[in-house]
Amino acid sequence: MRSGNYKESVAELIVLSDSAIVWVWSAILVLLLAAAPYLLNSYALSFVILILITGTGALGLHLLTGSTGLISLGHVGFLLLGAYAYAVPVAKYGASPLVGLLLAGVVPALASVVVGLPSLRLKGLYLAITTLAFSFIISHIVLQMSWLTNGARGLAVARPELFGIDFDSDARFAHLCLLVAAATLFAVLNIERSRVGRAFMAVRDNDIAARTMGVNLESYKLRAFMASAFFSGIAGALFGTYLSFVSVDGFPFLMSIEALAILIVGGLGSTLGAVIGTVFIVLLPEAGRVALSLLGANAEKLFSTGAHELRSVLYGVVIILFLRFEPRGLAGLWRDVKRLWVNWPLRF
Amino acid sequence: MQYFLDQVISGIAIGAIYGLVAMGFAVIYKSTGLANFAQGEMTMLIAYVAWSIAGAAPGGPWLVAGGALAAAVLLGLAIERLIMRPMLGEPVFATVMVTIGLSVVLRSVILLIWDPYPHALDIGVGRDIVHVGGTGMRSGQLAVIAALLAALGAFWGFFRYSRVGKAMRAVASDDRTAQLMGINAARIHAVAWVASSVIAGVAGVFFALLYDVSPNMFHLGLKAFPASILGGLDSVLGAGFGGILMGIAENLAGGYLAPSAKEIAGFVIIIAVLMVRPFGLFGERDIERV
Repeated sequence: MRSGNYKESVAELIVLSDSAIVWVWSAILVLLLAAAPYLLNSYALSFVILILITGTGALGLHLLTGSTGLISLGHVGFLLLGAYAYAVPVAKYGASPLVGLLLAGVVPALASVVVGLPSLRLKGLYLAITTLAFSFIISHIVLQMSWLTNGARGLAVARPELFGIDFDSDARFAHLCLLVAAATLFAVLNIERSRVGRAFMAVRDNDIAARTMGVNLESYKLRAFMASAFFSGIAGALFGTYLSFVSVDGFPFLMSIEALAILIVGGLGSTLGAVIGTVFIVLLPEAGRVALSLLGANAEKLFSTGAHELRSVLYGVVIILFLRFEPRGLAGLWRDVKRLWVNWPLRF
Repeated sequence: MQYFLDQVISGIAIGAIYGLVAMGFAVIYKSTGLANFAQGEMTMLIAYVAWSIAGAAPGGPWLVAGGALAAAVLLGLAIERLIMRPMLGEPVFATVMVTIGLSVVLRSVILLIWDPYPHALDIGVGRDIVHVGGTGMRSGQLAVIAALLAALGAFWGFFRYSRVGKAMRAVASDDRTAQLMGINAARIHAVAWVASSVIAGVAGVFFALLYDVSPNMFHLGLKAFPASILGGLDSVLGAGFGGILMGIAENLAGGYLAPSAKEIAGFVIIIAVLMVRPFGLFGERDIERV
């Protein structure tokens, strides 16, 4: 019987997971997700796709807000930039979708340097407001440059064809999203256990102490911004292609709030939390709709007329309740459940 | 030159409203140390209540003013008691996120209760034209500038001389030490929320008088943010003047560059200001000790 969890080398300490069971379950989850398009109807599949795309974006914000502790209220700006960086070359100039996806990551990453530069001097609230300002400026610029972006009319984007595979159907597109989301998750997990990731967390926990230990604050904050914007931009491009239409109205300010809600509900600073939070927040409006339909036809009618408002109310209430009663989020609850399972009937 | 003057004067009038909302931010920041992202929504909610009162009981301006004032006091007390007080002692990030959650909830609840169309708040005052230095102004615009100046003066005196105002500053700087000195921090927070909510209400009713009540009114909060940042989040007086500067800058950008530049002029300005002075124009420099 195992009496404890002993680590004898650094490699063992930073390995992604030392438990074979976790690997097996993760593999089963990936297989299930890969099989999902063939098992689920198209309505349920749309939620799977949304979860995968939102998860990619949430992981991007997680690198910045969760790991590095820099609050961003303007993440929708990066999503928007990514969507346009994909749509403009692909739909307007006929570039290859691969180039488009690359640009969808690189353009927001470059733009994030512009936002990141003031962040070197700003902290907390001031930074949050700068990012907020940035997202408004971005959508304004996109609307103004109508010779490039078609302004308020938006751009229609076809689903891509990559390596000879046509991703036009929802089933194929779900596979593309799964690939991107899994790659992002791996990238984020690996960044977090590298030197760079440890520096991010040091900056989050105490930036003055981190600086004293030789962490270059400027460089690492900018890197966090760039990595975060890169992943979010790709999520934005996927979202645009999923809807087959990219416009400024498709990326409302509420998306920034939604992204923060995901991190808070999941548990700030935890990668697992970002994933669980995504599932929770994406399914929340649907769960609300089902709960209201149980209350009767009148309540369901309210949902169809005020769907957007009720969704916002749900996000807001969930944010407030989680911060009030479970600041560690769903990831914290999950940890408690695991500990209870292992140690029961002992408490520790 | 006349065009320039017109732009500046109407900029001062709208800037006075921004200034009032920004003062609301600053009062809360100064006494509780957190930024209230729901300020614009509180402004909007009270304006809607005033509009409903004016529609239900056409009893003239005093009834509307009294009703809006009562609503503002109740709103401030309710938010503090039900939502913010349980968060006392939590990290700043958590409390700020709670206000963001609150703003989303308030905005949507307003849309669910009232309709999404703009309405004029017409209570028979504030619409007549007064001539000032060759340009016509509505009396409501003059009144809002007077209200801003009065509020600025009142808060300056309050923070400097009154016992409660000094207690507020003490709580903001370190609530634990302030409590050890016998200050009831929870009560101070309640006073701050009520004061901020009342200023928000004044701004909201004036905005509704001069323009209209609409679901887009929460943009006032987004416009007032740059104003309070410009003045420094912890400076109530700076916030008021920041609002006026912001109103003028916005109108000049809209008048001389492009009409759409009006919307983002404020945001461009704060990014520029924060690059040079990361603690605002009038804010106190934060010295960190390890």
